[in-house]
Amino acid sequence: MIPGRLLLLAFLSLIVGLVTARRAPRLWLAATLTGAGAALAAATGVLAGGEVWEWRPTLAVGGEAVHLRLDAVSAFFLALLAVLGGAGGAYSRAYWTDAAHPRSAPSGRAWWNALLAFMGLVLLSANGLHFLIAWELFAVSGYFLITRERHRREVRQAGWLYLAASHAGTLCLFAFFALLAARTGSWELGPMRGRAELAPLFWLALAGFGLKAGLFPLHIWLPSAHANAPSHVSAILSGVAIKMGIYGLVRFSGWLPVPEAAAWTIAALGVVSAVLGVAFALGQHDLKRLLAYHSVENIGIILIGLGFALVAAAHGNPVWAQLAFAGGLLHVWNHGLFKALLFLGAGSVLHATGTREMSKLGGLWRAMPWTAGCFTLGAAAISGLPPLNGFVSEWLVYLGLFDAVGSRSSAAWVAVPAVVLLAMTGALALACFVKVVGVVFLGLPRTETAKHAHESGWFMRVPMLVLASACVAIGLFPMFFWPAVARAAAAWQPAWADAPVPEPLYALSACNITFALLGLLAAALLWRRVRRNGLSRAVTWDCGYAAPSARMQYTAGSFAGIITGWFAWILRPERHAKLPEGNFPAHAHFAEHTPETVLEKIVEPTGRLVMAVSTAVRRLQHGRLQSYILYLLLGLIALALLAFAGGGR
Amino acid sequence: MTTVLDILLRLAVWLLLAPLLPGVINKVKAWIAGRRGPPVLQLYYDLAKLWRKGVVLSTAVSPGHVAGPAVAWVAVLSAALLLPLGPAGTALSFRGDALLFVYLLAVARFCTSCAALDTASAFEGMGVAREVSYAVLAEAAVITALLTLALQSNSVSLGTMLVPSAGAGAGLLAAGLFLVLLAENCRVPFDDPNTHLELTMIHEVMVLDHSGPPLAAILHGASVKLLLFAVLLAETVLPIGKLSPLMATAALAGSVLVVAVGVGLVESLFARLAFRRVPMLLTTAFLLSLFALLAAWKGAGA
Repeated sequence: MIPGRLLLLAFLSLIVGLVTARRAPRLWLAATLTGAGAALAAATGVLAGGEVWEWRPTLAVGGEAVHLRLDAVSAFFLALLAVLGGAGGAYSRAYWTDAAHPRSAPSGRAWWNALLAFMGLVLLSANGLHFLIAWELFAVSGYFLITRERHRREVRQAGWLYLAASHAGTLCLFAFFALLAARTGSWELGPMRGRAELAPLFWLALAGFGLKAGLFPLHIWLPSAHANAPSHVSAILSGVAIKMGIYGLVRFSGWLPVPEAAAWTIAALGVVSAVLGVAFALGQHDLKRLLAYHSVENIGIILIGLGFALVAAAHGNPVWAQLAFAGGLLHVWNHGLFKALLFLGAGSVLHATGTREMSKLGGLWRAMPWTAGCFTLGAAAISGLPPLNGFVSEWLVYLGLFDAVGSRSSAAWVAVPAVVLLAMTGALALACFVKVVGVVFLGLPRTETAKHAHESGWFMRVPMLVLASACVAIGLFPMFFWPAVARAAAAWQPAWADAPVPEPLYALSACNITFALLGLLAAALLWRRVRRNGLSRAVTWDCGYAAPSARMQYTAGSFAGIITGWFAWILRPERHAKLPEGNFPAHAHFAEHTPETVLEKIVEPTGRLVMAVSTAVRRLQHGRLQSYILYLLLGLIALALLAFAGGGR
Repeated sequence: MTTVLDILLRLAVWLLLAPLLPGVINKVKAWIAGRRGPPVLQLYYDLAKLWRKGVVLSTAVSPGHVAGPAVAWVAVLSAALLLPLGPAGTALSFRGDALLFVYLLAVARFCTSCAALDTASAFEGMGVAREVSYAVLAEAAVITALLTLALQSNSVSLGTMLVPSAGAGAGLLAAGLFLVLLAENCRVPFDDPNTHLELTMIHEVMVLDHSGPPLAAILHGASVKLLLFAVLLAETVLPIGKLSPLMATAALAGSVLVVAVGVGLVESLFARLAFRRVPMLLTTAFLLSLFALLAAWKGAGA
């Protein structure tokens, strides 16, 4: 029982970290890294060996016997949790220091370990009640990590929104698990695909887990929480915490029967999330908010894979479904890796310049070459470009979808728009990340703060380098990672056991490696040629203008203007402009802001309506005894009338 | 060993023939305008000259500036190598290489865009914004065209997808792909390769600050991309697999020439569109591909 010992070691290390977090940050880091390493080893063991680890001690919590279980699906997510937990922990050592944050840093370290431990517990629980407890503790630890800077108003607001959304989701899950327990007679979880009467319950799971995953109309909490949390927390929120929603959906769609309509809904919501996530991202001018919307996009891509696998399962055609599912699952890892990398990069920018506003940055490659390089690599990966990891998973999803179209079944009708919109999502993501890299890291510094930025320390650089090399590794050698994906897929759908590495994956890997090497070689050769021919420097072509300034560079807003114009129907950008007028215009300004449309145009008005109705109803409650007696009398008369009317029978 | 030789031979074909196409287009344009025009081999001379020239780099650029054109050039060439060359087929073919083809072109776009933004020029920012925005619609059209071919041939590999003719929807597909070719290669009516006003350019403005060998790589890469789209268009329409090798080669060469003449004619007879109209024309290209897809669906189902 090696996984068991490793998990125990991981748990004990996290506890040691929890205890030492306040006084001994070095010991905390060592303990957290040990814990992450042990958890990664346990997950790797299960993914490589394929056996399920189960533990049923004679111990009851809340009246239910403890039952922990690590199968390939759990291990798949646990591996991601371990990698990002370790990387983020090391990063926070230099990013959120005791010197800069004397009050929030020590407790932040403790909450970090709590978050890791509770997320691990969610992955291990095989009992509905314990799953709920772990889920709630994980959500609350997340809240305390998001609100590290509680003195800032927008952080408190983001925290409340997160907590409210999280609890709305938990409410659905309470209903889900309680109904499940009521119908099966036990809180024990496990495969029950044969029991068709449980199918409607999946809708509750979709709402609850969907809120956590942040699929399109339920993503309202996500942008502000990710933007206002410290960057290492954003990285783990986006990399792992929202994946807990995906874990829930994968887990319970594997164990419970899924109504066919829910399968279609997941696929459709995936497509919608992918396109609208990236559209909203294009409208943002806050670097971390932009990255947060890209999480919505990538969750969409993952759900396209899952949705089509579920649709196919209903049609008994698991051939192409396996590719789509494997693609979606691999995208869980890939998105975790490159999104965490991008958030850590954004954190380094924030650390060096103190602003997330892209229009105040620019030309950061001079001061921060390492961060710029890592961020650009992450940007290429998230845009799905070969030879990096994002392309591999999107390619698998595409293959599944192409075969779905080729099958000419009813799934093909959804697969056609899915393919087209996925391609457009890819191109939009590319546009968005060209914008980010170009505006933040390339060009000239737009402000003094950007000019005086500094590279971050090794504690921040090494985690970024680790994540970047993981992105390259999955891109160049996908076949080494396929067995893990295949094991997890087989744990989800037993019919897919022992799927060999698809033949084209080797060819793709060969192409990626060749392309990477040739690209490097061509760059080196061209650079040598340039050096040999002679190199001189001059100003950028400015059309002969006499006084160019760095502020004349294209801005993020104008860059995205064409595309945000196409999506104005949903983005609803707010423009405040005073145009220059007259022969000698004195003052002019222009500002554009893309609101969170679903939150501000739908959820908030609904909330206000509910509040207004409640306030109106509250007038009935005023403390005057006479009126209360009148209510009683009226109530009695009404009841009497009812009794008389119904008493005739 | 033979595979390596095979790949090198193909590479030579792509590398050497590609710069011919812009020369043909320019000759057609000159001919229609009643001028004598530059020689057909002009681009070869230009490339040779640029390769020997010194480089002026902007003071604003990062060390990655030269890597952009290099990687973009490799990406376009790699995409070209995935295409079958008439009767010779492909050197490397695997399931899903059609998608690699599309995404390699995206890599080239990413690299040239980043290299352009590197110069801190508002003009180039404007060009990049147009390039990446219009590419969204062009990519939708291309992927729909590939989906049509995949449906037609029951394969996701360019080597087999392009062998039969596109069947019922061939005409629609050809029209759609021709529009995409014009947009992706920055020809009239989407862009004007001869314009001298930075504000109205897309591609030309992105390479304003490149010179010497990097500019040569960009120009050569652009000509390979043009040839690549012309070959894709020709093989989509022609039933290459059904012809004898000699006939197939002749048909492929002939139709690539026809495409080049067509581009020249469009360039001589039409004006550049206003930028706000460009998305509509690209949407038309997408719709043409979509109708071809429906035709393929119905055609094989009946």
